[in-house]
Amino acid sequence: MIRITGLCKNMQNTTLLRNVNLELESGKILGIIGPSGNGKTTLLLSLCGLLPFDQGEITVGNKSISASESTINSEALWEFRKKSGIVFQHLHLFPHLTVLGNIIEAPMQVSHKTKSEAEREATQLLGKLGITQHRNKYPEELSGGEQQRVAILRALAMNPEVLLLDEPTSALDPMRSGDVRNLLREFAHSGHTIVIVSHSVRFLKGIADYLAFMGKSELIEMNTTEKLMNYPDDPRTKEFLRHSELN
Amino acid sequence: MPVMRWGGDPSGGAPYVYADPANPQSYTGFDYEFAEALAREMKMKAEFVPTDWESIVASLQRKEFDVIIDGFEPTEDRAREVLFSKPYYLFRLQLSVKRTDKLISTLEDCKKHGQTVGTLVNCAASRLLDEGGYKAKAYQDPVAAYQDLELGRVDAVLMDVAGEMFYARQNPKLKSVGKPFKTGAYIVGIRKEDTLLLAKVNTAIERLINNGTVERIFRKWQLWDEEQIKLRSTNQPAFEMTNTKLNWSEGLIKLFKAASVTVLLAFGAMMIAVTLGLPLAFGQSNGGPFTRAACTVYIEFFRGTPVLVQLLFLYFGLPVIGITLPGWLTAIVGLGLNYAAYESQIYRTAFKAVPDRQWQVAYSLGMRPLLAFRRIIFPQAFRIALPPMTNDFVALFKDTSTAFAIAVWELATAYRELANATQSYLGIGLVVCCYYLAMSLPLAHYAHKLEQKLQRKSTGILSSGADK
Repeated sequence: MIRITGLCKNMQNTTLLRNVNLELESGKILGIIGPSGNGKTTLLLSLCGLLPFDQGEITVGNKSISASESTINSEALWEFRKKSGIVFQHLHLFPHLTVLGNIIEAPMQVSHKTKSEAEREATQLLGKLGITQHRNKYPEELSGGEQQRVAILRALAMNPEVLLLDEPTSALDPMRSGDVRNLLREFAHSGHTIVIVSHSVRFLKGIADYLAFMGKSELIEMNTTEKLMNYPDDPRTKEFLRHSELN
Repeated sequence: MPVMRWGGDPSGGAPYVYADPANPQSYTGFDYEFAEALAREMKMKAEFVPTDWESIVASLQRKEFDVIIDGFEPTEDRAREVLFSKPYYLFRLQLSVKRTDKLISTLEDCKKHGQTVGTLVNCAASRLLDEGGYKAKAYQDPVAAYQDLELGRVDAVLMDVAGEMFYARQNPKLKSVGKPFKTGAYIVGIRKEDTLLLAKVNTAIERLINNGTVERIFRKWQLWDEEQIKLRSTNQPAFEMTNTKLNWSEGLIKLFKAASVTVLLAFGAMMIAVTLGLPLAFGQSNGGPFTRAACTVYIEFFRGTPVLVQLLFLYFGLPVIGITLPGWLTAIVGLGLNYAAYESQIYRTAFKAVPDRQWQVAYSLGMRPLLAFRRIIFPQAFRIALPPMTNDFVALFKDTSTAFAIAVWELATAYRELANATQSYLGIGLVVCCYYLAMSLPLAHYAHKLEQKLQRKSTGILSSGADK
């Protein structure tokens, strides 16, 4: 479950987020669309506690942080960060660790699982995406799509309540394949929440339950995918959808 | 008027020849006065050429000057290289200890109790100690030797009476023990081919002794004693020639021991540098304004001043505020502090090269800063830092040779000592180079292997674009 109320973020006289309000129940997948440079990634970073904000409050599951708590490394912030996992656009796998190492690092170091336990879970995850054979390779030896799967598994291994994905379609081939979609759906159905930022409406159409449109640092409208695609309220949403269909 | 160029070492060279404290532009000392008198006697003009004591014979060969007048003693090995004049002064050796010392009353006591005896490099006393198998420590100048005696870095000092008179006799913290012993002679050293000059010098010395000039000079310096009567009675050198032939197998062992000291210095210093560099780098990039300034001052100070000066400062300066470290430890600490400044800069660039997103990923996985640093950031930065660190380590290996300045007996010191004693600069030099290579090549090789191994695992750093 995610709830964002009155979220504002400014940086050097530029407004990055203006009074964003959003609510998403558990088990659902939300896609955020909109032209680039309109605060989508900023919203994502705030949502997982990596970017301080100026006003408002964010709740993920049973943990909330206020604007003031988001600015300093407080105990509340550390706890809040554990609630969500993020997959960055450029993935940022740990280059010095193997595929398996990338996935079991946090479970072992943060959750203090034993090596065999963490490895067993990781192997299970790897099996679901069919990349078990790569477990002992280093990230550089993998294709872009394979790297993305590892990045997703690395986030999922900590069993976060919410999974955030930033522009997942920019990696080659990636989300087209059914097993990644299946994994994400399975994750959502087991009571988790997923937020995907993407400029590709076509990709989101096939997976998201809800769509939200962001323009000019504001969340302009949010609705079920079906409704937002076919009956957008705001002219700016209409304009954006018309353009993306042309592409 | 023809010129007689004479060589001597004025650094800490009182009362032989040294910069006149009353008039630092000019020199004084009994050797200075003797040289003036000798030149005058030969109808020549004396011109002093300051040189380095340890390599004084080599400088004579290179014709930087024509004669050596610097409390120069005849020895067998020198006899192969230079001609000796008649003696103009007969010296003896004197042992000094701390005033509070109750253990030592003779040189034998030092051996019995395993005490270390300080002396000058390459002189009669150092040879005596070498041959007798005493625990000895050789200094570049008497000031440092007696200062270390005061500080307890050595237990006794054996020196020519002349040096002992000037530096120790007046010092209330020291005392002389036993009578002066083992007569030696100061002579003038001349190049082998200058036999004509030798004859002139000998005639002149004889005249200076007989007309009382020598007596006047040494009386003035309070160094005249009944022993000197022998100067008049005999033409034969009334002294024992000490013998130092290079025994190669022993020389190699000696060099090997010195090399292990070099290894100790290099590894010790590198450990300090590698460790201390970390907080320095961190303080400089992430500290508050005060920490940042303090780290910058530290780094600029150690990078901007010569390491040799820093070592001398630590060795002679720290005892003033009550911290007295032995020479080897001073060298480790000094080189370590110096190289820490360089390592910190390597770390800083290496940490900068790791993308910020790596921190964020680590945080999003629930890691706290220390854990993220230790497990995620440090291993990546280390890979970037390794090649320049290897470079520094090899450079540090060579910089350990600066420790000779504070009387640490490492490989370069051993080289100077052995080569000077035997005049075999080339042969021993090649051996010493081999020792250095034997130490630094495996190091470079191992570091290269490690780099390759780590390189194989990398590229994440290269493919780290910023997210939009």
